[in-house]
Amino acid sequence: MASRIPFVLVGTRALPGKATSFWIAKFLIVLLIATTACIREEDITLEQRAHQLAAQLMCPVCDAQTIDGSSAQISQDMRLKVRELLDRGDTNAEIKDYFVLRYGPEILAAPEGVGFNLLAWIVPVFIVIGGVGIALLAIKNMRKAGMRARDTQIQADDEGDLSDYLEQVDRDLGGSTEIIPTPVAASKKLTDSGNEANS
Amino acid sequence: MADLGVTALLLGLALSMYSVVGSIVGEKKGIAELIVSARRAMYMTLLSAVVASAALINAFVQNDFSIKYVADHSNTLMDRAYVWVAFYAGNEGSLLYILLVLTIISAIAIWFAPRRLARSMPWTIAILAVIQLFYFGVLSFAASPFELLDTVPADGRGINPLLTHPGMFSHPPLLMGGLISITIPFAFASGALIAGNYGDDWIDVARVSAIISWGVLGTGMLLGAWWAYTILGWGGYWAWDPIENVALMPWLVLTAFIHSIMVQKRRGMFRMWNVALLNIAFVLAQLGMFINRGGPVVSVHSFAASTLGIIFMLFMILSLVFAFGLFLWRMPRLKSDRAMESFLSRESAFLVNNFLFLAVMAITLWGVLFPLFSDLARDVSVSVGAPYFDRANGPVLLGIVVMMGVGPLLPWRKASARSLKQWFVWPVLAGVVTVGVLLAVGVQRPIAIIAFGVVAFVATAISEEWWRGTAARHRSGDNWALAWWRLVNGNRPRHGGYVVHLSILMLGLGIIGTNFYQQRTDGAIELGESLVIDNYRIEYVDSGDSSRADRIAQWAEITVYRIDKDDYAVEIDAARAEGASGFTLADSTARLNDKYLGQIEPWHGFYPDFNMASVRSGIRSTVVEDIYVIPRDFLADGRISLAVSINPLAWWLWASGPFFIIGTMIALWPQASIERRRSREPVQLEPLAELEPESNGGKA
Repeated sequence: MASRIPFVLVGTRALPGKATSFWIAKFLIVLLIATTACIREEDITLEQRAHQLAAQLMCPVCDAQTIDGSSAQISQDMRLKVRELLDRGDTNAEIKDYFVLRYGPEILAAPEGVGFNLLAWIVPVFIVIGGVGIALLAIKNMRKAGMRARDTQIQADDEGDLSDYLEQVDRDLGGSTEIIPTPVAASKKLTDSGNEANS
Repeated sequence: MADLGVTALLLGLALSMYSVVGSIVGEKKGIAELIVSARRAMYMTLLSAVVASAALINAFVQNDFSIKYVADHSNTLMDRAYVWVAFYAGNEGSLLYILLVLTIISAIAIWFAPRRLARSMPWTIAILAVIQLFYFGVLSFAASPFELLDTVPADGRGINPLLTHPGMFSHPPLLMGGLISITIPFAFASGALIAGNYGDDWIDVARVSAIISWGVLGTGMLLGAWWAYTILGWGGYWAWDPIENVALMPWLVLTAFIHSIMVQKRRGMFRMWNVALLNIAFVLAQLGMFINRGGPVVSVHSFAASTLGIIFMLFMILSLVFAFGLFLWRMPRLKSDRAMESFLSRESAFLVNNFLFLAVMAITLWGVLFPLFSDLARDVSVSVGAPYFDRANGPVLLGIVVMMGVGPLLPWRKASARSLKQWFVWPVLAGVVTVGVLLAVGVQRPIAIIAFGVVAFVATAISEEWWRGTAARHRSGDNWALAWWRLVNGNRPRHGGYVVHLSILMLGLGIIGTNFYQQRTDGAIELGESLVIDNYRIEYVDSGDSSRADRIAQWAEITVYRIDKDDYAVEIDAARAEGASGFTLADSTARLNDKYLGQIEPWHGFYPDFNMASVRSGIRSTVVEDIYVIPRDFLADGRISLAVSINPLAWWLWASGPFFIIGTMIALWPQASIERRRSREPVQLEPLAELEPESNGGKA
């Protein structure tokens, strides 16, 4: 959807006034200050890697907890073992294999994407593609139906439009009754920013 | 007491049965008196549930250990305030609590139901009564909280120590209440369908009750996450545990519903879709109840293995068959009034957003069920935990956040190129600039940087709308604050929604910060020693004992300093060479640029009766980052074993809570202008948000 938005059409004429930019700039500064918290040196220490691995291994005696989060004795021992294997120079995959060999595949907090377990990872992809696909298809179909119907229902549709418009005027007036915009101004406002007061 | 409770439950059973039969027969045979009497029976079931609950609470207050449930979940040592928590601490009591909530909200919904729903109310009442009947039945025959013990023990077993925390007064009741309250919008929609009331009469009540449900459930989850972060001492706040997932799934579907119901309200579209969403949410809530009561998947939250699983599974299947049978039967009648006009319209944005929410729900469901599936299909056990859900759901959740920025900027019906460029320039620019600046200053992790860009995009989109609306009103004479307030007031569902969107962005900041940039180190230090991580030094200055009869507990006092890394260059290099993220300092003399930040007091307790450890972390929280200290253990040699982490932006997770609640309240507040407009119509209608008192009750 987003890719269909014609960014090329963006021109300077559309830029809002200085006040808006000030508002947005202020927000951006706050956001940037907050996110600079995340600046850290990139090189991951062995200890960081040990934590990352611990978060991927289940505690064998707990219910649905990783060894990273559990304080059971076996979790502590396993954490030490992870660190020991890392110090030895093992890769993450080797360390995971080490534990799978001893505790079986359920020691991994997420199944590996091979063999039968590939299903675990592929189904979500289909869900997303299928879901968005169905949504887009539905919009397309509804649009086609709309085009067919439009020829015969121009009258009705116009009435619908008018009621929307009257509601709009109603609401615009609801906010501040003293200032009554001229119909021209109101309709201009409606077309300029059709989404402002709708919900 | 036990006799009174049992009698009240049996009476409730009879009354709800009467209400089911009375409503249906009365409606079919056209006996108005019977319909009225069936409706009144629903107030009497409320009375039954209140009496049964009062009997159980009274038994706790009186320390009546002849009742098994009381003996299992309290003792004489227990602080009396925790009677309320003990009430729902176990399987049977929590079912009674759920029934109590169900009867209360059913009565409120029936009392305040608008008159224009008169035709479908008997069916709505029948549905509510069936569900009450189920709970009265389970509590009477399968899981009675009033079961008596043969020999009365001198003292009870005591309450689960993990539950003795103020957070437990609100988190479990909100979650359980949120899950069961999905029944209300479901009953209204299904009632209307059975009665053949195909119009949009039911959507206002369904919308209001669904938002209440959604807000309660969301608040409950946030409180649970907050409680886990501050108390559980595991350092996280969301583990994608099956029980967390089954609360999240209906919430996601309700989120989709409260968005798409607006399309039906405004444009008369998506009728079928909205009913389907409520059905899915309701069935998922039943799935939640089932998994919670001895379902087939392991969780840290499960009630001790109960045999109720099969009963709840059958009820879930029944719900599924009923909801979708009804849906398929009535589907041909649920036509849209108007057609879709463009891909670039708010209607289509809502539809895409809906499918993304459903996608997250379906992926989560798949993850929850996959271990079962693997067991059945090939007899191999696998675990599906946080690393899976993070990776599978993460991108879709980011997509939802993008839609949160795009959707509100698109107009209804069809967007013109002109309005697109007018509205999208600043948000897109803000997103791009954020990504650029973050890259320029050297922030790591590309995915997180993109996520920050998306947050900036959405936040700017919301600010832009508020800015323009406020400025327009300001020009016509209002001062800025008043102008903004009038803007929000002019369309509360919309602007309340934006406040909620802001809270989601804050949540997003916290999630990105803690997931991508957390720093951790472990170490054991003696009194007087320090542990250094990144630019913090924490010094172990004191410890003490706070054991009681039922627990062995110790606390530590720790001073937090901010350091200049140059002062510690030698040690930092040495630690790095060893592959450690932090290091221990034996000599805690403050160096030149050390700056005192404050004291924290982590606490570690062990409850021998439960063989359970309970930990309070020491947290020093700022807007930028938390320094978070978990006392893993007090070692025999006098050292304390600590897990220390720096959690960037964690503060934002909890700051989002008030915004979430306030935004929900704004969206729910009855809209005066609509009332006025409605009252001009020939048929006299009730006010829009009849369920308002319930919202106050749920939030207070």
